[in-house]
Amino acid sequence: MLITLLALLAVSAPTLWLLKPQRWRHAGWLAALPPLVVTAWLLTQLGPVGQGAVIREQYVWSEAFGLALDLRLDGLSLFFGLIVAGIGAAIAVYAGYYFEKKTTLGYFYALLFLFMTSMLGLVWADNLLALFVFWEGTSITSYLLISFKLSDPKALEGARRALIVTGMGALAMLGGFVLLGQIGGSYTISALLALPPDTFTSHALFAPMLILILLGAFTKSAQFPFHFWLPGAMSAPTPASAYLHSATMVKAGVYLLARLHPAFAESSLWFWTLLVVGGVTMLMGALIALRQVDLKAILAYATVSQLGVLVMLLAFNSQTAALALVLGILAHALYKGPLFLIAGIIDHATGTRDIRRLAGLAKAMPLLAAGALLAGLSMAGLIPTFGFLAKETLLEVFFHWMESGDPLGLVGLIASALAGALFVAYSLVLIWEPFFRRAAPQKQAAVQHPPSALFVLPVLLLAGVGTAIPFLLGIVEQGLFAAPASAVLGAPVTLHLALWHGWTPVFLTSLLAIGLGLLVFWLRQPVQAAFAQAPDKLSGTGIFDDLMDNLYGFAGSTTRIVLGAPLSAQVGVTLLAAAGFLFYSVFSHNFMSDLGVDWSALPTFYEVVLAVLAVLAALVTVKARSRLSAIISLGMVGAAVMLIYVFFSAPDLALTQFLIEVLTLVLLVLVFYRIPPQEVQPIPKRISFRHLLISLIVASWGFGMALLAAQRPLFASISDYFSLNVLAAHGGNIVNVILVDFRAMDTLGEISVMVVAALGGYALLRASRLRPVQDPTQPSDPAQSKKPASKPAGGKHG
Amino acid sequence: MAERYLALLDRILTPILFVLAIIFLIVGHNEPGGGFIAGLVVATAFLMQILARGDDFVRKLIGVYLQPTMGVGLVIAIFSAVLSLPEGAFLLGTWWKISLPGAGVLEIGSPTLFDIGVFLVVSAFVTSYLLELSRPARGNRR
Repeated sequence: MLITLLALLAVSAPTLWLLKPQRWRHAGWLAALPPLVVTAWLLTQLGPVGQGAVIREQYVWSEAFGLALDLRLDGLSLFFGLIVAGIGAAIAVYAGYYFEKKTTLGYFYALLFLFMTSMLGLVWADNLLALFVFWEGTSITSYLLISFKLSDPKALEGARRALIVTGMGALAMLGGFVLLGQIGGSYTISALLALPPDTFTSHALFAPMLILILLGAFTKSAQFPFHFWLPGAMSAPTPASAYLHSATMVKAGVYLLARLHPAFAESSLWFWTLLVVGGVTMLMGALIALRQVDLKAILAYATVSQLGVLVMLLAFNSQTAALALVLGILAHALYKGPLFLIAGIIDHATGTRDIRRLAGLAKAMPLLAAGALLAGLSMAGLIPTFGFLAKETLLEVFFHWMESGDPLGLVGLIASALAGALFVAYSLVLIWEPFFRRAAPQKQAAVQHPPSALFVLPVLLLAGVGTAIPFLLGIVEQGLFAAPASAVLGAPVTLHLALWHGWTPVFLTSLLAIGLGLLVFWLRQPVQAAFAQAPDKLSGTGIFDDLMDNLYGFAGSTTRIVLGAPLSAQVGVTLLAAAGFLFYSVFSHNFMSDLGVDWSALPTFYEVVLAVLAVLAALVTVKARSRLSAIISLGMVGAAVMLIYVFFSAPDLALTQFLIEVLTLVLLVLVFYRIPPQEVQPIPKRISFRHLLISLIVASWGFGMALLAAQRPLFASISDYFSLNVLAAHGGNIVNVILVDFRAMDTLGEISVMVVAALGGYALLRASRLRPVQDPTQPSDPAQSKKPASKPAGGKHG
Repeated sequence: MAERYLALLDRILTPILFVLAIIFLIVGHNEPGGGFIAGLVVATAFLMQILARGDDFVRKLIGVYLQPTMGVGLVIAIFSAVLSLPEGAFLLGTWWKISLPGAGVLEIGSPTLFDIGVFLVVSAFVTSYLLELSRPARGNRR
């Protein structure tokens, strides 16, 4: 079933694109069907999974390599699956109205559904490598969505930055996965989690493994100091920002940490890293959000802050912390998603997202204001919202820590309360300033284009679900909260959730935070003014860009060094290096006795003729006075080699050699034809001698290699296996059977490389033509030379 | 002048080369040949056309199809690899026997399909490079 649902979403992507959804006004409802189907099925599983049932599916796709697609649905996977599919359905409806018949709608849906497939695969995968593949799938779709508006250079820059940061993190994570797999002896996540935790924590490689995996999770979930890519990702269309960069994708890192929590949570490295990184991210995001004026930027930094909270909670190994994590994830998805969507509708209606130009929108868009109120109050964490429930549980975690006698618990409590107060402040800003205040401080934007009720409906639905959950605790808490929390903790969790616990110290702290938040809201103008003065050093974007510039500079100077030499020198160095590495191993053998070469055997007549022909042709090539005769005599060398293949009964090899000879010969002629005819200058004696020396070394090495290969198999030969089984493989031509059957995986890799090389080469050849014409009197920079084949002997004796 | 003889030769040789390529492709599994060689033969045929009729002619004729052909070839190769997934293996040779009344038994297998994919990639790859490299250089280069 799980694979069917993934396939349904994957197939929906191209289908929706081909259907040209921009033709219909209400296309969004059609697009919402596949994720709704997924959501509905997942809801039916809430009961059984809440009771502890686990659904497993395994699809072996390569038995020989032990590779299988393992899918597993437990409480945590179901929880994330519901968020991804449920919010995905709302986003699909919303996007239909947001793009409003723009032709890019189909492309957007294709990317959205590919993302949805990857994200669901990520949370359902039970294999580290499968998880990695889906992880990269979300990175790539995110990249394409951020750069959705190709004409906007800022969007392209933000997309590149996001891809590089998350891509590097993912590579580190892959290394961590391999270490994890080596330590645990399996790549199956559930099998790894079933091992006793000290298998990992007491292993010598635990620290490197953990750090590598954390790098992946932190980059994906925008933790300090990698947080800067997330605000840059806000160039994506708003439905994508709401979905990927707030509700789902950025939580992938949190998901991974939650998934691995039972195995690692006992280590102190885990505890301190997550606590400090999460805590710093929480405070920093909350503070930077205060200085933003773009609605989406405020929400982006608030998201960074909330992600910090979630990572910080994962540091703890307690029932309350696991519960606070689960509540925090769902509450955040259900208030931040709608708030992003609201920002998109405001942008759509007024043409701006600058909060300084917005005021009094509630009159024109009362439904939207209601949605903003529901979502905003939840973000502020006021009783009786879902956000309140999440915040109470969060504060409780620190109270427990404090009660255990650690003074650091108090620090954590104060920090969380402070972040909570800032959340209150900008929730109120987001509700009050655009919707209810009388006049905007800057030129006020008018509502030109009020949204239809159907456009606002997804916002109300999401915010409504968030509002309803605290009142339905008795029905949903077992499946929706207890089951994922148990998976995070690795032990069954019992629940005692309620909105009202009486006048507990936690509630009083919460009230204090709200009061402080109101104060910050009241004083927001002086506070913002003070913040606007602060230098923009915290963003991290500048540091990253400097690093990238240095990297490009380094690549450029390396290229100039390596490719600056004339071609003949490059070829010489390459050949000498190849010969040099293997020279000793080849000539440490005594060819006269060790190898048992029968030196007395006489060569056949044909062999002598062909060898003499090849040598003569080679001599002519070297001595040729014109390029054309050099090319043709070089072709003759190739022809002689081809005939030798024929006599040694290797027709396939001979055919290939022949065709390649013909193609290269004609190509060389074509290329030289373009260059004005020129007498080949005689090469100076000194250089000529050097070339001779290189040739002799390389030739004797090649000769030795050939003898060695023929006389003493270094490994048990596999050719016997091939020739024995060639008939079983329905083929008579062993070369072809090896290429397309026995070693087809190699061939598949080769043709994939060919396609990539073709695209790259095409782009290079194209780019050099598009470059402005160089001044012919200036010698062109070798590093930028137009095409290698056009100046093969450039430099010294061209 | 030379082009005129080449054009004549091209008329005769190009069809022969294409037929030869198809023969190599079909018999490749049992006799010398195969997708790689057949692809090179097709590229040679187009090289002949480039020499006889100029690169612009060939580019107009097939230029836009080259990159899609590579993609299609790769997809065909991957498709042939997926065919054996029901048996729990990737890229395992799978064969079907189709008995043709009066003409014996035709054996078609996933390696045949794979070879066709290789053929498409190789022919389009080499031809696209031939076309790009035979494009006249800008006027003022050396």
